Amino acid sequence: MKYILMMNSIRAGVEGYKAWPEKDRDRHYAFLQSFNQDLRDSGEFIETHPLGSPQEAVTVRAGKDGAPVTDGVFPESKEFLLGYWIVDVESPQRAYEIAARLSAGPGPGGVPTNMPIEVRQIMTGRGEELIAKAAKTERK
Amino acid sequence: MKYMLLMTGTNSDFQSYANWSKEDLQANMTFMRAFSKELKDAGVYVSTEGLAFPDQAKIVRAGPHGEPITDGVFPESKEFLAGFWVIDVEGPEQAYKIAARLSGAPGPGGRAPGAMPIEVRRVLNGAEEIAR
Repeated sequence: MKYILMMNSIRAGVEGYKAWPEKDRDRHYAFLQSFNQDLRDSGEFIETHPLGSPQEAVTVRAGKDGAPVTDGVFPESKEFLLGYWIVDVESPQRAYEIAARLSAGPGPGGVPTNMPIEVRQIMTGRGEELIAKAAKTERK
Repeated sequence: MKYMLLMTGTNSDFQSYANWSKEDLQANMTFMRAFSKELKDAGVYVSTEGLAFPDQAKIVRAGPHGEPITDGVFPESKEFLAGFWVIDVEGPEQAYKIAARLSGAPGPGGRAPGAMPIEVRRVLNGAEEIAR
């Protein structure tokens, strides 16, 4: 089963992180490196990527002629994806264990960040299932 | 430069999507397949994934002994990721053009293009690329 572990934060949270002392950030990076290595060793690792700063985030809609209409203004409460991990695990419980380890990563002074990690199952191909279900409903 | 195009929705958006007619779902799927193929043909495709409905979504935190504490209660306004595409393009303008195309995907009863907002974000290769 594939799961995505998402680290989300509002803009204010990102600003807080940028203000961490360098020593604390180094410790956090070292933790992330060993976290990633452990996932590779256990064969559960698929991919991980950090995302660019929410300051650069843009929402795009199609204009009347299909041209992009961009908007960079978001409510303060808007959660931005800061980074994600995709893992292939035996059970949801295992995905939660991995997420808990990530949440326990060291923050300022080495104290666990206790950051919330959103865990979602990946179901590429879900569209086909919905169509089958809709067809069933319409036949009734 | 790699960009991620994120499609998000609230719980009620997911519920209405689940109730689209078969024809509307099929039209949307046909569009999505053509869209992915266009990205591949243009040599900008990196990956795409669809996520399960948010009714199984969990927030996980570490408990006092590092054990997972899960929570599945979210505010109504919570935006859930429905799916994403990662593309490798020349610059942000190209990413925005591709996002606009995705925003024009057909919805229920031929919804007007542009109804769906697509969030566009840079994808970094690793921690070393994060501004420090």
